[in-house]
Amino acid sequence: MSPMWGSVAQYSTIHWSWAIAIYLFLAGLSSGSIIVALLVKWNRHERSNSSIWDAMIKAGAVVAPIAIFFGLLILVVDLGRPLSFYWLLIRYNSTSVMSLGVLFLLIYTPIVVVFMLLVFERSVMKNSFLAPLEGFITMVKSFHSYAKMIEYFLFAAALCVGSYTGFLLSALYAIPLWNSPLLPILFLTSSLSSGVAVNILIGLLFFKSTINTESIKYLLVLDTRVILTELPLLGLFFIGLFYAGGDAPNAAKMALTEGFWAGIFWLGVIGVGLGLPLITVIVALRSHVYRVGYVVINSMVVILGVLMLRYYIIYAGQIYLG
Amino acid sequence: MEKQYRLLYDENLCIGCQACSVACRVENDVPDDFYRVQVHMQTLGTFPNLGMKYERLSCVMCENPPCVSVCPTKASFQSKDGLVHIDERSCISCQYCILACPYHARFVNPLKNVVEKCNFCYETRVSKELLPACVSICPTNALTFGDMRQSSSLVHQKSQKEVLVFPKAHLGTKPKVAFIPNRKGAKS
Amino acid sequence: MEYIQTRRNFLKVATTSATASVFLPGSLGALGDIALKGEDKFVRSICEMCSSRCPMEARVINGKTVLLQGNSFSSDMGTSLCAKGVAGASQLYDPQRLVTPLIRMGKRGENKWKEASWDEALSLISTKLSALKERYGARSVIFSSKTGEQYDLLRSFASAFGSPNIFSHWSSCPIAIESAFKHTFGEKLHRDFEEATFILNFGHNLFEGLDIPLTKAMAHFSANPSKKLVVLDPRFSIIASKANEWYPIKPGSDLAFILSLLHVWIRDGKYDKKFVENYTIGFDHLVKSVKETTPQWQQTFTGIDAKVVERLASEIYTAAPKCIIDWGHKATTTKAEYQRTRAILMANILMGNVEKEGGIYFTKSAERVNALAKEEVVPELNNPYPRPQVNEPRIDGAGEMGAAYRFVSKQHGVLTTIPEAILSQTPYEIKGWFLTRHNPLITVANPQKMKEAMEHLDFIVVNDIYLSDTAMMADVVLPEATYLERNEGISTLTCKAPSYAMRNRIVEPLHHNRSAIEIIRELAERMGLGSHYAWKTISELRAYQAKGNAELLQTLLLRGIASFDVPPLFVREPSSVERFCDHYAQSKTWVDKEGCMSHFLEHLKTPSGKIEMYCAEIEQAFSGYGVTGIVEMDVTQGFPYILTSGKSAVHTNGHTQNVPYLHMLLSSNPIWMHPSTAKAHGLKMGDTFYVQNSIAKEKATVFITEGIRPDTLFAYMGFGHDAPEMKRTHGEGISSSKLLSLESATLCGAMITNVGVNILRA
Repeated sequence: MSPMWGSVAQYSTIHWSWAIAIYLFLAGLSSGSIIVALLVKWNRHERSNSSIWDAMIKAGAVVAPIAIFFGLLILVVDLGRPLSFYWLLIRYNSTSVMSLGVLFLLIYTPIVVVFMLLVFERSVMKNSFLAPLEGFITMVKSFHSYAKMIEYFLFAAALCVGSYTGFLLSALYAIPLWNSPLLPILFLTSSLSSGVAVNILIGLLFFKSTINTESIKYLLVLDTRVILTELPLLGLFFIGLFYAGGDAPNAAKMALTEGFWAGIFWLGVIGVGLGLPLITVIVALRSHVYRVGYVVINSMVVILGVLMLRYYIIYAGQIYLG
Repeated sequence: MEKQYRLLYDENLCIGCQACSVACRVENDVPDDFYRVQVHMQTLGTFPNLGMKYERLSCVMCENPPCVSVCPTKASFQSKDGLVHIDERSCISCQYCILACPYHARFVNPLKNVVEKCNFCYETRVSKELLPACVSICPTNALTFGDMRQSSSLVHQKSQKEVLVFPKAHLGTKPKVAFIPNRKGAKS
Repeated sequence: MEYIQTRRNFLKVATTSATASVFLPGSLGALGDIALKGEDKFVRSICEMCSSRCPMEARVINGKTVLLQGNSFSSDMGTSLCAKGVAGASQLYDPQRLVTPLIRMGKRGENKWKEASWDEALSLISTKLSALKERYGARSVIFSSKTGEQYDLLRSFASAFGSPNIFSHWSSCPIAIESAFKHTFGEKLHRDFEEATFILNFGHNLFEGLDIPLTKAMAHFSANPSKKLVVLDPRFSIIASKANEWYPIKPGSDLAFILSLLHVWIRDGKYDKKFVENYTIGFDHLVKSVKETTPQWQQTFTGIDAKVVERLASEIYTAAPKCIIDWGHKATTTKAEYQRTRAILMANILMGNVEKEGGIYFTKSAERVNALAKEEVVPELNNPYPRPQVNEPRIDGAGEMGAAYRFVSKQHGVLTTIPEAILSQTPYEIKGWFLTRHNPLITVANPQKMKEAMEHLDFIVVNDIYLSDTAMMADVVLPEATYLERNEGISTLTCKAPSYAMRNRIVEPLHHNRSAIEIIRELAERMGLGSHYAWKTISELRAYQAKGNAELLQTLLLRGIASFDVPPLFVREPSSVERFCDHYAQSKTWVDKEGCMSHFLEHLKTPSGKIEMYCAEIEQAFSGYGVTGIVEMDVTQGFPYILTSGKSAVHTNGHTQNVPYLHMLLSSNPIWMHPSTAKAHGLKMGDTFYVQNSIAKEKATVFITEGIRPDTLFAYMGFGHDAPEMKRTHGEGISSSKLLSLESATLCGAMITNVGVNILRA
């Protein structure tokens, strides 16, 4: 029958677009980065300032607050009515993952800033630019005794932030590609891998540490471990969809085989984000060539892969509804 | 006594004339090229063994609305009589509810920048004991609306007589809109 | 979207664009902000978004928008109204509407106009028409309009002016039905869809060509599991989808199918013998005519299996007399249209459903009811539009002895004769054309030739709401007020019982718009023809029609309709007759011993006074046409495919394609094509291709669907507007009229809308 009912564009509009994909990436990056920084902090043995481990902690302390700040900014600006965002802060809905996320972020964000100030305490105090904040810094110093508790709290908050983004999507049973219990785990793992990568990257680039081949080797192996966790998770995710009911099998099939986004998945997420670093590491380990350059490039590529995974999930979920 | 509203869409009577779509547009000031209700038709089968599927696309007023449970500011809320409304003041247009709706019933009003959907013409009609615009205008009486708690109502009587299909019932949304499926023609 | 963006600011026209004169001078858009002047309570009126003219009511809200719905004082309507009816508001404040008279500058069709005052425009028209009358005779001016009140007045004006050449749209629509009925029953009958149990439908698509009361009745009929609807249509239309059985009959072959049904009934003696004997003449001629038209014979024409005919004949007979063989609304399917429609009427007669519940029945007009009741039960109306006799033959020879169109009404004529008559100046010169509510360059066959003919005219006046394709050719364009802005006279709604309706203005005219009645009446005044009329203003018109009956007028003003509690009357149903007699005691004298009013059926407006299966007068003039029977029905003209056309539920012919709300729903008419046909021509969904025959070659897009015969194509008619000022629809879709031949159906002069075509790759 001739379509005489008017435009159907509203049914296939993409509602959550690049801004949301980037936010999810930044939220994951922030939480992953701080989790990795905390884990390193709790598990390292030397106290040498110029070791890579210290650099990673510093990197985490800087990346996490900046990433979450920009993430929240993008989120608010992308809203249909950005000036109304304050409603999010005054009204809460306990069944809404988004509302819960607002709560987690309200807790997480100030604490991650406090953590940053604690880590850079000495630099902050030395810097005349930040002198007006002296009163604030004195207050921060008083928290020093609670540092350990703050760190545990921060860890928990970061876990919440890192996984809530997955639940945000998986709560929607109307979107078959998102409605999987594996999505939160996938997002958390992916966040952690981006956290490892960004901490290494920023640490090496900005916190001028010396790094020996042992450390490089260790980091490359760490990278591999994370990737090798992500790959099977991705596999399980799609297998789960194929065995689910309703529109899920069809949606999953189309998302893996049709159009531009299938290309992004195979080339971007799998190829560049996971395959390339894996190959780099294997080659490096085989030929025993441990260049810092490899590590830097690897990290960047992993981060890119994580961003593309977010992009892919967001877009493919809305396009391939089965 | 609280109401238990139901809207019946009889595929056998519907002729896809779009009168409901235009009446809704006028009644509710719907922006151009957006629709709170549309009726789609699809020819099924192979010539000459054909059938026509008629489908009403609009909010089905779930009793268990996913759009309400996901709204962070409770701008999407359910009233006492079970209808789902949108509070334009507190809607931040995050569009979570649009994604949550399995019936693709919601859209962003580009002029007001808030989310919009069918609300059974509550303000202008149902709250005044009148029928929604689409029900009132339908040339073939394909739509029946009323309170199921009143056994004398048309909607109650029709529900007793006809086969009712609740769309996507397996999702547990418990829609207030039910379809009476087509009895004629090829079905696939 | 260069048109209206918001409802609240609806008439704050977007003049933000720097381009000069976005809107044509004379259009509503050029005026800027206008508020509607109307009341925020329901005013009852009559819709005119199509010519079903359903009773409706409307309310102005906040001076900004009009809420429209059915007029529930009419029980057939309730509050129902179709998409077009509700979109009336969208048409009302369409910025592309005309609101000021325009006079042509530059060449004809060049689209250069100057705004004029009414005085200027009417003065020019009056002068020019008088000049033409002086020089070439009044007959040199033709007048055309779709039927309705404005046509009644235009016809009267034309007669007063002295021209016999008044055309209605009939020859492009129902003329075959009107002719067939006139010769068979003396007048047109109605169908009782509510009580029927079996309907045989020949493509009468009430679900895409809506008439609310009929559509509603048909919808409930088809949804009723104990009733049966059989639809014959080459396309799987909406009504076909609601049928119990649908047969994709070959276009133009209905006649063969019906003749075979008649054959079976007569062969088996399964028809209402008593009815035929008592109330008809010429049955023997029918018997002879259908002797060879067997079910097997029809199969070669229609493609429908002979067994189907046998079974349906039996089923219909079982359901009789609560059965209807539906003659449709528009009858333009083949050159044999007259015989086809006559055959359908014969089918009804054989089933004995005349004046039976669930069958077909005569209009129970006020005059008829009063005559039967022998008292003035229902007020009768005066005719406000007198028609002085004009003793001149028409250009198409309608009504003239020995002419091809002898049996075509002089009041309606044959539109397809106009181009040739103008171009060849036979039988005499035509120099002028006055059109209102008529767009022949979209709706009549071969508009290319019509346009060419119009170039040869000296003076053309068009009264329309848009600057349509036809209006583009005019010397003077007048801005008709839309129906929401018009007060008009009283019209008759009668079916089973008498009722009247009246169109009441919902809003004041938005600018300089005037109704056709006001325009033509003033023109008559200016041309010295005013003395023909007993009224000057609309109020006087109404008062005159109602014979001063204030109560009737008051009811019509407040309720929009007036009915008189007359019980529906079927003269062959004793229970109905009895109920009528209970109301009107004096009518008992008409009742015969069977409890029927059989007298009624013996005094019809036919030569014999009875139902005429055979018309001697017609047989004399057209051998073989006195009774229905086999005649040439081919529509292919040797081409491999047949292009058919039809209506959509969201558009009305060529009227609504530019209306914003309706354009939003359907903006073009891709041609329906069966997958095997598309494949054979290498076409995929949405591809461009050419439809071609000996008349034209037109570009189209393809819509591939299972819902059509492989040898048939279908296009919704009314698209393909070239008029540049109809900016939304300009250039969209294909005008199926461009491929139609000016050859018309035998005897009745009907246009033929099934035509043979070829498919060519782009």
